[in-house]
Amino acid sequence: MTEPFFQVDGLNTWFFTRQGVVKSVRDISFDLRRGEVLGIVGESGSGKSVTGMSIMGQIDDPGRIVSGSIALDGEELTAFTFEEMRRYRGRKIAMVFQNPLMTLNPLMRVRDQMYEAISEHEDISRKEMHDRCIEVLKAVGIPSPEERLDAYPHEMSGGMRQRVVIATALLLGPDMIIADEPTTALDVTIQAQIIYHIRRQIDERGLGMIWISHDLSTLSELADRILVMYAGAMMEIGTTEDIIGSPRHPYTRKLLDSVPSRNTPGERLRQIPGNMPSLLSLAKGCPFASRCERATEVCSEPVPATELSATHRIWCYHPFEG
Amino acid sequence: MNEMIFEAKDLSRSFAVGSSALRDLANHFLRDRPPTVLRAVDNVSLTLREGETLGVVGESGCGKSTLARMIAGILPASSGERHFRGESYASFLARKRDALKVQMVFQDPLSSLNPRLRVGEIVGEAAVLHGLVPRSKVKDYVVDILSRVGLPADSIGRYPHQFSGGQRQRIGIARALAVKPDMLICDEAVAALDVSVQAQIINLLMDIKRDSGLSMIFISHDLGVIRHLCDRVAVMYLGRVVELAATAELFSSPTHPYTRMLLDGMPKISLQRRKFMPIQGEIPSPLNPPSGCHFHPRCPIATERCSRIRPELREIAPGHVHACLNVEEQ
Amino acid sequence: MSTAGFNDFARRFAESRTAVISLLISLVFIACALFAPLISPTDPYDLTQLQLSDALKPAGSKRMLPGEEIRANIRIAGGAISVEPAAPAQTRENIAAEPCGANCLGVGVLPEGTKLASLQIRNLPAGATVEGGKKHIVQPWWTVDNPEGGKVRIVSNGPLPENFTILAIAKSLDQETDFVFRLGTDGFGRDMLSAILYGIRISVFVGLVAAGAAMVLGTGLGLLAAWRGGVTDAVIMRAVDFMLGLPALLVGLAILAILGNGVSKVLLAIVIVQWSYYARTARSFAMSELGKEYVEAARCLRLSPARIMLRHVLPNCMPQIIVLFTLNIAAAISLESSLSFLGVGLPLTRPSLGMLIASGYEFIFSHKYWISIYPGVVLLVMIVAMNLLGDRLRDLNNPRLDR
Repeated sequence: MTEPFFQVDGLNTWFFTRQGVVKSVRDISFDLRRGEVLGIVGESGSGKSVTGMSIMGQIDDPGRIVSGSIALDGEELTAFTFEEMRRYRGRKIAMVFQNPLMTLNPLMRVRDQMYEAISEHEDISRKEMHDRCIEVLKAVGIPSPEERLDAYPHEMSGGMRQRVVIATALLLGPDMIIADEPTTALDVTIQAQIIYHIRRQIDERGLGMIWISHDLSTLSELADRILVMYAGAMMEIGTTEDIIGSPRHPYTRKLLDSVPSRNTPGERLRQIPGNMPSLLSLAKGCPFASRCERATEVCSEPVPATELSATHRIWCYHPFEG
Repeated sequence: MNEMIFEAKDLSRSFAVGSSALRDLANHFLRDRPPTVLRAVDNVSLTLREGETLGVVGESGCGKSTLARMIAGILPASSGERHFRGESYASFLARKRDALKVQMVFQDPLSSLNPRLRVGEIVGEAAVLHGLVPRSKVKDYVVDILSRVGLPADSIGRYPHQFSGGQRQRIGIARALAVKPDMLICDEAVAALDVSVQAQIINLLMDIKRDSGLSMIFISHDLGVIRHLCDRVAVMYLGRVVELAATAELFSSPTHPYTRMLLDGMPKISLQRRKFMPIQGEIPSPLNPPSGCHFHPRCPIATERCSRIRPELREIAPGHVHACLNVEEQ
Repeated sequence: MSTAGFNDFARRFAESRTAVISLLISLVFIACALFAPLISPTDPYDLTQLQLSDALKPAGSKRMLPGEEIRANIRIAGGAISVEPAAPAQTRENIAAEPCGANCLGVGVLPEGTKLASLQIRNLPAGATVEGGKKHIVQPWWTVDNPEGGKVRIVSNGPLPENFTILAIAKSLDQETDFVFRLGTDGFGRDMLSAILYGIRISVFVGLVAAGAAMVLGTGLGLLAAWRGGVTDAVIMRAVDFMLGLPALLVGLAILAILGNGVSKVLLAIVIVQWSYYARTARSFAMSELGKEYVEAARCLRLSPARIMLRHVLPNCMPQIIVLFTLNIAAAISLESSLSFLGVGLPLTRPSLGMLIASGYEFIFSHKYWISIYPGVVLLVMIVAMNLLGDRLRDLNNPRLDR
């Protein structure tokens, strides 16, 4: 196994609102290797999106990274100025959002947007830009890329748009792509195609990818490693075999159990009782304790990490047996 | 076998897109093209029995939302018939109080509740207006329904924005239940929810169905949920039903090539990284669907006939119909 | 809206100091409008209180009681003196006469010491003169200007005749009163402060009523267009397009030219000009609301179209319409002032701010600027305050981008 080229260590991103401090991300640490897909799974409020935005330096008032380190190839991202981060973005780390219309300008042709993405960071001829655009459009499986370049975003289907966004992300040859629910809004058949192409690009180019999703099924088929987050904290991290094959954390198990395909049709789904606690008033200790059948007194103390194996780590006082 | 509660025959809905009298005229004389028409639902026939849950699954552009609204009676049909317990919708919908028997639960927890009304009003309004409950008793009535969907009594004084997504869906379900429907149409009712909340709402729907014997039509793009909830499933593609069968049979032995593709592409919890087949093709625009069988450009077993002839639904096994020219009876 | 919701709204509103100041100023104006009869020093509509001699006085000047002219016939008959006031009937002062010596008759004005501008004696007997007086060039009239002590003496070389009658005309000086015109007076002698207060009253009244009526009419038509669609929508929207294409002032002028002056007609003119803004806004918001699922739910619950529009759609459009209303009050006031300034609005006797500005226009360059400037400044402040208030409400209404 190669060395990780990207490391997040003890990340804390908090939002200082009028109602109080929302500790969206608390002490998150993970790493990423080239050619690897790390899936971050969690529900709304788990902090998975905020983690992605923190890495990209896109946390604005009233939020900020309170502490922690984010390092890519040794460079410390949290120390960057706004300008430095802006130049870094796109070139070294690219981000893909759920809604392609967030990234694409509806008033510009695809070609102009892709050219702009390149010319922001590199100075090459139009011919070279054109060739590169065609190449990445083909790489994500877009048929007739020449025609697509001329089109406006609204002239394309949702799946096509998202592919253009991913292609644009590849344009500058980044080392890493962060995708936040990139295929959630797309049809199943299109999603399957996009995942196929992305996986190929990751393998060919040796990219690292962080895929943020609430859908464990997709992640189980795509990711090499999975990080399970809940209410801003890490619950469990491991390879896909670890997490899907032998989940040890009660939350991970419950999450898997509530997927309909893991239940007998017609029977009541195994659901998680209660609701996620408010991030404004978090008690210390395990955030899942209030909904966990195995919780005891000790769970209200801060939970240390437990190494279950070289790849598998868990934050729980009462993990399931292997 | 139970009575039939709902039947649709050759139901169609077309939208004239971007037309105006002037433009139609200009088009006609200058370019000899008919005005652009979108056939969102194209000759759909299906039935629902009392107490049954029928799933309707399909991807974007398949027309399932339009179909849902036609069945609910809030969108008129361009052609075809709809019957509720044998009575044509034309007369059925005219009797408002009876028309309450068909209700709908919507997809978006944000916009499906009026942000300016309190929950008590949202749930109780129709029941009072249609005389189902006297105004003096409506508060207790609403509290009772809210408890059935798992919401506390003090919800009635609060506004939708004070609730989470899952809770808002419960309010939407309560709103539908308040008028004592016999048939409930769920249009992607759990699509916008987190997995654990989704499980709660699915369980709730199952409980309600069991307790009140409701008949349900469940529209979704999520095959996993459909498989769990539904007795029979209809698969739609670009406005047409391409396959209809009992759930177990559809999932174990799908016959239509599109259904197969759909099931293949469906993400499943698995221990292996899947080698995805690069399935070619986009879903065509409903404005300009392929001729003959809509699926033929992407179909692995398409022949020349498929581009000319529109396949009709035919029975391929007992209780199992599909619309394909090439797969033989089993 | 819940109390908590309102408190939050109020807090966010108060974040802008400008907005709070605007709100306070607007409230002050509304208070002025409401309480004008109570706080106004005079009633500017009461024509009997006006004195032309007070006209065009600058700020801070005192009201002057104009000097009166009194006439009296003084008859001497066998040593007895009788004074018959000739005109006017009632006077503050009285003419009196008394002998002041052998050949002397003193004529004066009571009360004693009243300052007189002049005292003129006519029909003097032959040989008699008035001490210190000037004889009229042609007529046998003797005038003493500023007579000391308010008295003159008629003297004669020889004894005065037994019977004679003279006419005494006394002109008293203008008296200063204690009443101060705090902002000066206009061309008719009206106290500017009172006129402005009443003018604010009219402006606010017209603004509120006209904007309110336009809101009801325009919103109703906009909702109708959104609900009905098709031909109804097309007709209403073309009417809106047409109205919006015409300059407001010209339309107002045209309407008032046809209908004539008067408050009700000005209101009508403003409503006709402004309804189209509401219609367009209401229609656009209603159309976007009508596409939302809660409206579909309401239809599924088989609620009547009227109920859906009024109970479900309208409340969701109201915030934007209220904002428009606030901004429109300022526009209505401005329009009414312009029309009054041009002379077609409200009548002269019940001046609005625009009318006041107009009536003072001729004097702007002759140092009597206050007649136009003061109402002008007041109008400016009022409109700006209401505009800023409306702006703030509009900004608050926009959904925040960081969701």
